[in-house]
Amino acid sequence: MKRNLLNAAVFAAAAIVAQPGALLAADTIPVGVIANLTGQDVNTSLQMARGVELAADEINAAGGIDGKMIELIVEDSEYKAQEALTAATKLYQVNQVPAVIMFGGSSLMIPVGELAQQEGKVLINTSSSSAKLGDYPGALFSILPLDNIVGKELGQYVYDKGARSIATIVPNNTFGTGIADAAGAAFEAAGGKIVRKVAYTEGQPDYRADVQAIIAAEPDALVGVGYGDDSRTVFKNARELGFDAPWYAAYPSIFAVENEEWMNGKLSGVDNGGYANDGGAAVLAAYKAKWPDEDEPLAHIYYGYDAMMVLAKAIEAGGVESAEIAAALPSVVESYVGATGKIVWDDRGQRIDPPLDIIEYKGGKFETVGTID
Amino acid sequence: MIDFAIYALTLVAIWSVMAISLNIQFGMTGLVNFGQILPFAIGAYAAAIGVQYDLPWWVGAVAGLVAAPIAGILVILPAGRSSQDYWALITLGAGEIFRLTMLNVPSIAGGADGVTVSRLPDRTLAAGLAVALCVVAYAVAQQIGNGPFGRMLRVIREDETLAATLGRSPMSFRMRVTVVSWAMAGVAGVLYAHVIGYVAPTSFLVTDTFLVWTAVILGGPGRNIGVVIGAAILILMSVSTRFLAEWSGLPSDLVANLRLAVFGLILVLMFLFRPAGLFPETKRVQNVDGL
Repeated sequence: MKRNLLNAAVFAAAAIVAQPGALLAADTIPVGVIANLTGQDVNTSLQMARGVELAADEINAAGGIDGKMIELIVEDSEYKAQEALTAATKLYQVNQVPAVIMFGGSSLMIPVGELAQQEGKVLINTSSSSAKLGDYPGALFSILPLDNIVGKELGQYVYDKGARSIATIVPNNTFGTGIADAAGAAFEAAGGKIVRKVAYTEGQPDYRADVQAIIAAEPDALVGVGYGDDSRTVFKNARELGFDAPWYAAYPSIFAVENEEWMNGKLSGVDNGGYANDGGAAVLAAYKAKWPDEDEPLAHIYYGYDAMMVLAKAIEAGGVESAEIAAALPSVVESYVGATGKIVWDDRGQRIDPPLDIIEYKGGKFETVGTID
Repeated sequence: MIDFAIYALTLVAIWSVMAISLNIQFGMTGLVNFGQILPFAIGAYAAAIGVQYDLPWWVGAVAGLVAAPIAGILVILPAGRSSQDYWALITLGAGEIFRLTMLNVPSIAGGADGVTVSRLPDRTLAAGLAVALCVVAYAVAQQIGNGPFGRMLRVIREDETLAATLGRSPMSFRMRVTVVSWAMAGVAGVLYAHVIGYVAPTSFLVTDTFLVWTAVILGGPGRNIGVVIGAAILILMSVSTRFLAEWSGLPSDLVANLRLAVFGLILVLMFLFRPAGLFPETKRVQNVDGL
């Protein structure tokens, strides 16, 4: 009887999973999206998914690809590797999607990248920047540039701004430490000195101890990255503790600013330079039209949009099979200038040489004040 | 599609081993282990470190099998004379110390970057290994639970002083239980690493320990078949609600939250109306001479 119960549970699950694939109409092209819709860093992930949605809307409004509409199937990763893998296995095996667009850290992206390579499928990364992502050529393609490129420019920018000693504060993950290492190396190579390095554990309610350690080191400036609620908490703690040095960052536009007045003129850094072009402006307009009551979008919306667009162009140029998409992707990006600017990939499908701008936080929003060649 | 069902079965089997492991500790012996994820993580990291040094997979597996129970002994030694409250705190702290060490000392296993582990290329093989491990763990747990050793464990669980008056050392029994159950969880961790293909500190959070606790409480502490079914229900609910979400046609972010809410609601209702679990432990009457 006990064995029958277990068998019944397994077969019930099999019966459930058998259904959805049949729901996809033959005149649609299914595209998978994996985002952490629950768990950690939900807002930024949701923005990426909305960017994908805007691109799919645009493609479908123009008649789809060879008359077939894009059908998005969005799965939640819960910001857990196991759940991301479950979502990817479902999308690839049950929904039979040829490609998945994904938001998540390297601890999620790498196992899914490995799965994509094993299954002969395509994965487009919009958020992770670990050097290990290059280990899956032909399967994993990145819209976000690698850490070392942006970090190097940030380190030089900080030195050029006159800082000679810095402290770094980043989340203790691949993105944070990757940027901190690259920026620190460039800053020291220019002649600067790092007086304190802080890599904080994400998801904490308070970072006073970390901020106090930085204040005690008396740096000329603070250098870092951050996003979501954690960045808001770090800013709040710094403001309450009276920290007053300039704050330089990679991708400052993904920070969640806590106090506009205090942050005004204090935060600047190196960010993707594509947002300010016509493509970025069009995406912003589409976003505001579709979600008029929402706050200003985060930069991830542009990465999600570009991911969907290059995927659609690859399907159009190569075909709907994963192998055809993987073969077509490198050539279609050569002529694509999207919401994040021109995309240049190395031979592993990793983004290099992105357009970079200097942006500053002024009057409650970010303004572009320069460009990096 | 069948591949997805096989993958789900693999997860069910792995987490069932974890539930059986905790059941031996808590359900049978009364040990409140809030660091159940620790032996699992040790097993996974043993596999990962083995791969990092280009060692054959079995070296990592043996290392996980050996290291997890040794860690268990080290953890429970200071807790030997403590009450269950301290036991819970010590195991909880040990799990976090291990995770944070892995996170902050990249030279061991990549820190936040984690380590890529060779994934089992054949899903059926992975499922077969997981089910085989689950069957072995179940058989061992049944053997423990139904024999004189298991009866003494229940005496210790109900009244430690009574066990001592019978001339038994509760600490000795707890030690043996820890060695067996942590070895099970360690091997489950090794297999998990080769199924997921990646080991990083984010995979071994306190919340994962409570996933195992939920399976045990849901299934029925003290009943091996109950905790296996508890684990199966949890994993299959998590998997199947993805399809319900897809069918609903609601916005994806709303559905993602509703999915977890429904998941939580079902568990709350279960705990309200079946507080002893789906398969409560049956009362046993034994002659004390048989101990």
